[in-house]
Amino acid sequence: MTPVNLMDRARAAVDALERLVGGLGTAILAIGTLIWVAAVAVTSVVGVGLPFAHSAARAVRAAGGRERARLSRWGPEIIEPDPLPPGLRAARDPVVWREFAWVAVHSTWGMVLGLLGISLPLYAVQDLTFPLWWTLVPPGTGPGLVFWYVRGLPGAFLVCLYGVFWLAVCVFGHPFLARVQAWPGRRLLAPPAGADLSLRVAQLTATRAAALDAHAAELRRIERSLHDGAQNRLVAVTVLLGAARRQVARDPEGADELLERAQGAAEQALAELRTVVKTILPPVLDGRGLDGALKALTADSGVPCKLEVDLPGRCAASVEATAYFVVAEALTNITRHSRATSAKVSASLENRTLRIRVEDDGRGGADEANGSGIKGIRRRVEAYDGTLTMNSPPGGPTTMWVELPCGS
Amino acid sequence: MRIVIAEDDPLLREGLALLLRAEGLDVVATTDSPEPFLEAVDKHEPDVAIVDVRMPPTHTDEGIVAAVEARRRRPDLAVLVLSAYVEQAFATDLLAGGAAKLGYLLKERVGRVEEFLVALHRVADGGTAIDPEVVGLLLARQRPESSLARLSPRERDVLALMAEGLGNTAIADKLVVTEGAVHKHIRSIFAKLDLAPDDRADRRVTAVLRYLEAAR
Repeated sequence: MTPVNLMDRARAAVDALERLVGGLGTAILAIGTLIWVAAVAVTSVVGVGLPFAHSAARAVRAAGGRERARLSRWGPEIIEPDPLPPGLRAARDPVVWREFAWVAVHSTWGMVLGLLGISLPLYAVQDLTFPLWWTLVPPGTGPGLVFWYVRGLPGAFLVCLYGVFWLAVCVFGHPFLARVQAWPGRRLLAPPAGADLSLRVAQLTATRAAALDAHAAELRRIERSLHDGAQNRLVAVTVLLGAARRQVARDPEGADELLERAQGAAEQALAELRTVVKTILPPVLDGRGLDGALKALTADSGVPCKLEVDLPGRCAASVEATAYFVVAEALTNITRHSRATSAKVSASLENRTLRIRVEDDGRGGADEANGSGIKGIRRRVEAYDGTLTMNSPPGGPTTMWVELPCGS
Repeated sequence: MRIVIAEDDPLLREGLALLLRAEGLDVVATTDSPEPFLEAVDKHEPDVAIVDVRMPPTHTDEGIVAAVEARRRRPDLAVLVLSAYVEQAFATDLLAGGAAKLGYLLKERVGRVEEFLVALHRVADGGTAIDPEVVGLLLARQRPESSLARLSPRERDVLALMAEGLGNTAIADKLVVTEGAVHKHIRSIFAKLDLAPDDRADRRVTAVLRYLEAAR
């Protein structure tokens, strides 16, 4: 085995460990869900639990949703099912029953695998390092997984060799362990074969509608800013010029003043045209990429703003433009409403997903229902199949996460 | 002539007031949205209201709604609506209650001060001023089956100029014909549109309305 190959193996093992730990997390969630469902089921026999039946179904769906999102990050995407039917009809939904089956399997089997996944490397490290600390334990006792009598320093080195064996088991076995742990979820949480395509179609139709909406909103915005800005300024120019022409003979000085105002209005019209043109597709995006565009944006921000970018590749132009607008809009919001003294923008590209985080140390309390700014951001993001998450407790700080599929 | 202005763009509002005052007209109030505008109409009892179509809050047709409301409150108020672009629906909304003392002009016409003042006075004196652009739009959309189809091209030209609000002399000047010829065309138009001379309504206005109607 070449060293490079070994490195790959090690990296795969670390990845697998991360997956097993994540699986352990959803397994704990599944246990909680299982307990709640059991409690509701038992009390439903005497009627008391029936009002909670839907919440049990929701809990199952939520736990399943968590696992779907987790598995989708590590492999092929698992598509979200249709929303739960209302009331007790949720109990007849076959998807909920499949999800419940997953809850039962994952809360037990998945839990055991997760614990195994964590403890094996720990024991391996314990055994490996045993020669360094064997004198500290009472003679004869060994570390994890050692069940024989350990005799002196040679015995300690034997344990160390034993640790090498367990480490090898981890490196080669963990990817398999992680796959086994994920298997029930992949089988039970994926939509039934027939439903798959129609769901995806429904989802795409919805995002396409959102795209068209966003497009219309965008056109309205451009029309509005052209009308209220440049067009009105130019009308003012003609009005002022007309007035000036009437004044020339009577009062040349007054006419000159009017001409000066007309010139000012024409300059404003130009400035506003420039602004509008810039927001349609920022030339800086074309020239310097998202990286450079964000640099320019954060440098111009009203609130001092740090920037962290890790963008090894380029995305589709429309996705980059969306990312740019999201950050621009977020920074505008921060400057206008947050009373923050500093902000930070991070952007990274990983697994064909563009991740953006914008945070500030302002007063928080940003509410999507009140601010059309956030709504606009969401519309734009969802139009590109992306997601927006926001955390803004009263008193701050505010953080916004945006994920956009890269699209190229 | 007492004038109230409703225009939300400050630069334009001030420019307009400046221009009208320089011409010796009495601008009694300038307002930036429908509510204060209607209050000013109640308070100052102006002769003419100059109203922008797009005003807050939604920037769509607030000006038209406000103009119609102002006319409902004070039927003798002359209203000149200014718009950044022509919209046939606005024109027909506005003219639904009759074309007398009404004007609908593109904003940039204000820059041609002489013509603008003529239109303003015409509207204040009970006439009509419809922007040539609006008239052109209506003409282009006219359906063939309407009674207007019976008009000759020359008669249609005359009717279009009538719709803009021009008098016979002005029409004769524009078309480079004699006033007598214009008279003849107008009589022919009335006949083709079945407007009898003893009708109580002003036949000119009715003809124009028929014309605008046809384009709906």
